[in-house]
Amino acid sequence: MATKKIEAPTPASPESKSQSVNGSKAMPAHTGAKSGQPPVSKNPHGIPDWRLEQLPFHIESEWGDGEYRYKIVGDTSAPVPPLRPSKYLGKEQTIELFRYMIVNRRMEAALESMYKQSLVIGDLYQSLGQEACSVAAAYALDKDDWLGPMIRNQGSMIVKGYQPRATMMQYMGKGDSPTKGRDSGSHYGDPKTLNVVAPISHLGDSIGVLAGVALGARLQGKHVACLGYIGDGGQSTGPTYEGFNFAAVQHLGVVLVVEHNSWAYSTPVELQFACKDLADRAIGYGVPGVIVDGTDANQVYDAAHEAVQRAHRGEGASIIEAKFMRMKSHAMHDPAQYVPAKVKEYWKRRDPIARMEQYLKEAGWMTEAQIAEMHAEVERFINEERAVAEAAPMPGPEDAGTDVYFDNAVDIPVKYGEVRVKNANKNRKLSESSAPGHYK
Amino acid sequence: MATVTYLEAIRQAIWEEMERDSRVFVMGEDVGVYGGAFKVTEGFIHKFGKERVVDTPISEMAIASAAYGASLTGMRPVGEFQFMDFISSAHSQIVQILAKSNWRWGAPAPLVLRGPSGGGVSGGPFHSQNPEMFYVHTPGLKVIAPATARDAKGLMKSAIRDNNPVLFFEHKFLYRRVKEELPLEDYTVEIGKARVHREGRHLSVITYASMVYVAQEAADILQKEGIELEILDLRTLLPLDRDAIRATVEKTNRTIVLHEDTKTGGIAGEIAAIINEEAFDSLDAPIVRITAMDAPVPFSPPLEKAFLPKVEDVVREARHLLKY
Repeated sequence: MATKKIEAPTPASPESKSQSVNGSKAMPAHTGAKSGQPPVSKNPHGIPDWRLEQLPFHIESEWGDGEYRYKIVGDTSAPVPPLRPSKYLGKEQTIELFRYMIVNRRMEAALESMYKQSLVIGDLYQSLGQEACSVAAAYALDKDDWLGPMIRNQGSMIVKGYQPRATMMQYMGKGDSPTKGRDSGSHYGDPKTLNVVAPISHLGDSIGVLAGVALGARLQGKHVACLGYIGDGGQSTGPTYEGFNFAAVQHLGVVLVVEHNSWAYSTPVELQFACKDLADRAIGYGVPGVIVDGTDANQVYDAAHEAVQRAHRGEGASIIEAKFMRMKSHAMHDPAQYVPAKVKEYWKRRDPIARMEQYLKEAGWMTEAQIAEMHAEVERFINEERAVAEAAPMPGPEDAGTDVYFDNAVDIPVKYGEVRVKNANKNRKLSESSAPGHYK
Repeated sequence: MATVTYLEAIRQAIWEEMERDSRVFVMGEDVGVYGGAFKVTEGFIHKFGKERVVDTPISEMAIASAAYGASLTGMRPVGEFQFMDFISSAHSQIVQILAKSNWRWGAPAPLVLRGPSGGGVSGGPFHSQNPEMFYVHTPGLKVIAPATARDAKGLMKSAIRDNNPVLFFEHKFLYRRVKEELPLEDYTVEIGKARVHREGRHLSVITYASMVYVAQEAADILQKEGIELEILDLRTLLPLDRDAIRATVEKTNRTIVLHEDTKTGGIAGEIAAIINEEAFDSLDAPIVRITAMDAPVPFSPPLEKAFLPKVEDVVREARHLLKY
């Protein structure tokens, strides 16, 4: 497993000016020909859209043959555009990021095989087609930054430093899993070293937590980026709004990656929200927003990188909407027959790993043979991880009810340094409250 | 020694802890320049700065989750809910994230969520509730409900110093009605320990928060009849002090459990079960529950009076139990 990434290079043309979008600050736009970038379009509300194609169809429900079903309105035959060249990623980083995507995919393929052998306890949640979004967004984080994954973001957790065996052992309920068999799947984290907030099943609840992490770090004089994901379904919840609004108003460095993966379990986006682009919500929050193609790792990375840098400068929160499709079902029990076949074919042609392979070959950064060797090397690595995970013991009954409370004898240190405040009257004494209050 | 109200005791506790430990900070609605709806944090922002006295949007969810997030970085936040009724708006964060945090992923959450609960002030159905039992039923939390100024201060300090999420239910009826002399020096009161508020031989009233004073009035009346009530103030509802419950039942052999919360699913049922497990053989009479009626808290004074447990209820049931 390659160690953590090299620092990102400074952009060729640093863009400091930001544009006003309905009162909010927009992300710096690509400058087209100046940096060899294709032009950036804007959606009807002025949100920059870095994609090189627009989705040429949508889903509607239809009554026919005595049944309701989903039908496609529009054309699904459009050719696949190339990746947008990254403004920040060089060859080495791109190859490392590509490898993480392969690790993500092959880990889940192994998990599917383990599921079919009844080694996985309960259900399995996969991210096929989402690897670019998971991996490239997390790749923009520094060591001190925090990650708030969701159930399918197990790839992002590998970027942050976990080994595939962690997720495998979680799914098998092993005693050596990060939660000692107490929780499943990607529901684990590490507040001490890797800075990953363990997700819960309730959607959006981690967003306010990430805001709090940024608040705590800022009190200690450190601007960290806290990158979290939410889905097109999860963003409907109240906690999403309340958590992110707090981050926005406090100018906390929360980077919210809205994974528009087109299906919330079985519900299409057309039944989830009335606006066209979820990035429009950035305007309401008063933060910059941007739309990217979630199958294009370069777009995802560049947008995340800019949002993370903004967080590091103490300028506050950002929203990135990444559009793509969940290529597997909600979980293994679900055959996902509600997805029209042509929609699946459209997105299958936009496979993020296949697109990245094409990009690497066209850039002359990897040959077909090198790519094949990387797949083979990762396959060997995953097999080793799987062997370790399978050999790990199950938990003992004594682990069910321990650790409910943390020991009060242990001092919990601050993570980033001494707490500092700018203006405070240290000599002020506490005098009895004399002001009028409720029910005096 | 200085005479201090229950409210001032809480102010002092948080102020002194913020002076002692820079990791402690407060956040909540209107807690900054305004000093909070009940003035618990009045003056705090000038002393400690706006970074450590954080005014939040109207979002209990954000208060709970951001306090928790900050605790992950080693801070020790004290979040204020303007009224504990609004804790329901943060329920998911508290029971799903905070309470399970250490058990699930080894992330201790040293934080306090506090605010005024309870009735008797015509606050109506959304400003008078006793929502503590939702949280007593949640492993991983600690739940505190003090009755005296001394305990309020000492327990608040312990709560802030505790490495676990603590919910601190203050009683708004007591805020400015009870006062006592408090030591000037630093002191704490241990979480999880009940306190004998009044010694007695004939009958135990196990209670907490403002009902301690209802029991006290009843005890004064019954004393004239030669009946001695022992009043056990639980102080902490999670974890419950099983030893103290057993000890008082073994001493008096008769028990009333009195609380302002509603009856069904109230803590009286849990205490009756503990007595059953710990001191069944000591009982000379059935355990009696005196609680608010199973209804929302009404607004109008005659209705609220009918709703809440009363001194005469305790006197009547005590006389009855002693004849049993």
